[in-house]
Amino acid sequence: MSERTTVCGTPPTAFGAATAVTPRRCLLVCCGTGCRANNAMGLADALEAAARDAGLDVTVSSDAPQIKRTGCNGFCENGPIVKVHPDDISYYKVKPEDAEPIIASLGNEPVARLLYRGEMRQRLTRQIDNPFYAHQQKLALRNIGEIDPLVIADYVAAGGYQALKKALQMSSEQIVEEVIASGLRGRGGAGFPTGIKWQTAAGYPAKPKYVICNGDEGDPGAFMDRSILEGDPHSVIEGLTIAALAIQAEQGFLYIRDEYGLALSNIAAAIAVAEADGYLGDDICGSGRKLRLEIVRGGGAFVCGESTALMASIEGRVGEPRAKYVRSAEKGLWGQPTVLNNVETLANIPYIILNGGAEFAKIGTAGSTGTKVFSLVGKVNRTGLIEVPMGASLRHMIYDIGGGIKRDRPFKAVQTGGPSGGCIPEGQLDLAVDFDTLDAEGAMMGSGGMIVMDEHDCMVEVARYYVKLLAEESCGKCTPCREGLRQMLGILTDITEGRGQVGDIELLERICATMTAASLCALGKTAANPVLSTIRHFRDEYQAHIRDRSCPAGVCPALTVYVIDAEKCTSCGACSRACPVGIVSGEKKVPYSIQSEKCIACGSCRDACRFDAVIAMRKEEVA
Amino acid sequence: MVDENSKATETGSVAEGIHRIILKYPGQRRYSLAILQDVQKEFKYIPEEAIPLIKRHVGVSEGQLYALATFYKALSLTPKGQHIIKLCDGTACHLRGTNNLLGELGRTLGIAADERTVDGKFSLELVNCVGSCALAPVMIVDDDYHGKVTMGQLPQVIEEYRDEQEGGSDE
Amino acid sequence: MGEKLIISIDGKACACEKGEYLLQVARRNGIFIPSLCNHEGLEGLGACRLCIVEVTRGGRTQTVVSCIYPVEAEIEVQTQTNSIVEQRSVIVALLARLAPQSQTIAQMAKFMGADLPRLAERPGGDKCILCGLCVVACEQVGTGAIAKVNRGVEKEIATPYHRPSAECIGCTACANVCPTGQIEYQQDEQGVTIWGRYFDYVACAACGKQFATAAAWEFSALSSASEAASVGVGADAGADAGAGAGAGAGAIGQGRTGVVADADALPAPPLCPECQRQQVAEWLASSSGRYGNVRVAMKELAGE
Repeated sequence: MSERTTVCGTPPTAFGAATAVTPRRCLLVCCGTGCRANNAMGLADALEAAARDAGLDVTVSSDAPQIKRTGCNGFCENGPIVKVHPDDISYYKVKPEDAEPIIASLGNEPVARLLYRGEMRQRLTRQIDNPFYAHQQKLALRNIGEIDPLVIADYVAAGGYQALKKALQMSSEQIVEEVIASGLRGRGGAGFPTGIKWQTAAGYPAKPKYVICNGDEGDPGAFMDRSILEGDPHSVIEGLTIAALAIQAEQGFLYIRDEYGLALSNIAAAIAVAEADGYLGDDICGSGRKLRLEIVRGGGAFVCGESTALMASIEGRVGEPRAKYVRSAEKGLWGQPTVLNNVETLANIPYIILNGGAEFAKIGTAGSTGTKVFSLVGKVNRTGLIEVPMGASLRHMIYDIGGGIKRDRPFKAVQTGGPSGGCIPEGQLDLAVDFDTLDAEGAMMGSGGMIVMDEHDCMVEVARYYVKLLAEESCGKCTPCREGLRQMLGILTDITEGRGQVGDIELLERICATMTAASLCALGKTAANPVLSTIRHFRDEYQAHIRDRSCPAGVCPALTVYVIDAEKCTSCGACSRACPVGIVSGEKKVPYSIQSEKCIACGSCRDACRFDAVIAMRKEEVA
Repeated sequence: MVDENSKATETGSVAEGIHRIILKYPGQRRYSLAILQDVQKEFKYIPEEAIPLIKRHVGVSEGQLYALATFYKALSLTPKGQHIIKLCDGTACHLRGTNNLLGELGRTLGIAADERTVDGKFSLELVNCVGSCALAPVMIVDDDYHGKVTMGQLPQVIEEYRDEQEGGSDE
Repeated sequence: MGEKLIISIDGKACACEKGEYLLQVARRNGIFIPSLCNHEGLEGLGACRLCIVEVTRGGRTQTVVSCIYPVEAEIEVQTQTNSIVEQRSVIVALLARLAPQSQTIAQMAKFMGADLPRLAERPGGDKCILCGLCVVACEQVGTGAIAKVNRGVEKEIATPYHRPSAECIGCTACANVCPTGQIEYQQDEQGVTIWGRYFDYVACAACGKQFATAAAWEFSALSSASEAASVGVGADAGADAGAGAGAGAGAIGQGRTGVVADADALPAPPLCPECQRQQVAEWLASSSGRYGNVRVAMKELAGE
């Protein structure tokens, strides 16, 4: 039996792709969508200008530092991030004004104030010292933040397209064997064994056949696919091309959310360059094999992330799924054998082909091999994208990597798998996360979203939020899903607004059971998960809303007003400044007060207060 | 036929503009959505006259084209504002107060989600997760991302866009 | 296709062919499975979900929708388990709130004891259960004038902009397939009003019988003419070849609508189907079998 790596903390295998690209000094500036929102492009311009001013012009001297605009480093709340290579210095929250000091510091002491502060308040220079990165094992994300996604030479220097060249020498069966041996399971949500999918499609003789990349990442809280498409588009192209070789397809599609503007332009540019360099087109690397890739923009429909709905959309129809009694591998796009894979799944393929499936299978757990990219967001101190081996525990992710809950509040639940997933409470923090353990919890891996919640989050409101999303996103074709969601939304809205009735919980459970058994597609079948898991773990919260018309978390506006605890109030005035409707007032040395009858229960005052002096109360009590 | 080099196309009729878009694509059903998306981008909505023109090109009935235009939220049948405000209602943003921002924009602009201000300058939408969760709550105005938006910042951000387009109007 | 199988439905052995849909097999053997969105003339839709049953195959049991489930192996089927009965009951209770004016649903609900008073009625709910059978019929028999509009809980069946459609030909196929009688039309001696438009009838030149709306006659005549005239004009031989799968390869899907070769070249005066068959038979007999292809013969008849 091969050794399995289940514990994080083993040395990450793929940091330092930048080292493979070039030995000379580079400033790697994170220019993913998140950092661009914080003027990362302006920062990169400023660094270039500062370098020129310092006489370190890249056009003049080949020793001058290169300034590369890379994809997302994952640590988004602390961006824009600048990494100095090969010195291995990472700067966070960098502004254009910092450009000059950074240039001046090259080869000297780093700019201390821009370094990350550790738990003991010490300054950390290396990326690996940062606890956010220390435990990660980057495979799918191996190149992101290390290369310029628009420069194919970077990708090639980092080992790119070697797997494709190797695959061209392999037979279809050999390629499929490696992927089966790897144990890779779909990273988009369903977790279907990728190798089996490819093998099935390869076995049908009908031509033409198609490969499709599913870039319609719709789970709220998930942005790993966006990150990969922006930051390392060639890895997806390479994975998709290998899939095409395996099943003998000559046409492929990348279906990408229309909202992902940067991802769309980067993948389009990458395809053009790959074609120009012979990695796509009519004669791939001189082998005579062919593949043409086409980009299709999503139309703004979450359901199009479902594979058969996605195919309908490519065909120019509305995104209605179809029953899967006949698998897409046999009859998919336009009735032809089709393989559809998620972005992250494809990004793993080059590693598997190059190193062998057995190497990949050494990582993770027996049933869920490899790594997984999670987006850790919500009430944690360190939020962003993390890649860890399957089998890492929730506690490890949330506390070791995520740095624990903001403001040290107690952990309440983590929501995994988006609208198809469920909530996992405190008692399960040691759960080793993989496809099967999450399924067993009624939670589901989904695309890897992990939304951390604390005591100020209302679980009934969370259920209502997901049901509302699904009610609008459901294609509407089948009765159980459409009508089940319609009615559940009505009931949950009633509950959060104080009109819940005895028997509502049991009715929700009944509707959920029918939806799960009788819906047409995975959207309807898994829609019950957020409702059932919150009922299962937080039934008392539902009952408080129904019986007492009270929201224990202090969130539901119809049931809540805020008051100030006079004994704890220090008269700092933070609450008053935060209040958007101007109903909080007070003066020095006198406790502040809220005009409760005008309170909209937005929670801004409670969030602003550092002394826990703002208390949520049951509206009916404070009449 | 529309002369693509003619200046007239810039101020040309809606039909000419739609023809220009249609002719970029083969006349096959599967390009229906792409054509509609391009029309949406150019005109900020799907003009009624577009439907029969597209039908003639791709051979899809008006009923089916209308179904596409109403199914996909990237497409709209009514014009959007000059500045489109999108509030992300992904889970992370929702938990960090999208509803509050919606309320504040309602107070500042007088519109709810899926509405447009009377002067046509702003329209407001709630959108699904835009994938910038670490910056929650996120507001996108046109192509600009605004992260960690607070209710207090909103009036000023809106004013900047209002002033911006007034300032650049002398061409 | 063709391989004979024996499957068990509620303990009864039923013969069928591989690939047949389970609902058809059951009905043929006198086993009743309720359904709403199923019509003999159209492909199974799988929208209402009332025809769910439990299928056990290779030790695994799953709930499937029998109108679209093809029989591929010798399976065991249960149509009335406690779970199935409960799920059908919930579905009908949901439909009762969606379509409060439908007698069909009300009767079903009463028969099944399916009533969940806590559920809210859909504001403006009538008899429509949003199954979409009418849309499928319109695509196959008609012009695709009506469609499923919006999505999710906003879904409805409508013409573009909720206005009378220029594409509608008044064939009433939609009304005929609707399981709850939602689509109404008013007929008089001269014509029919449906979807907000009035359509004149056309009378057979031979026997005088009014057999279709003029619009429907023109549409079908034009379709046959252009199909006979050129194979593949406007149709997409390549990518859309497979588009026939699914909701039917209607005239629309293959681009016939947009490519009327010559609007003036209408065939000779309208004939009702019986008279048409009669005329073709006579003409074929007189031409001593010169033309093997009926469509080519029709062209000749039309004087081309």
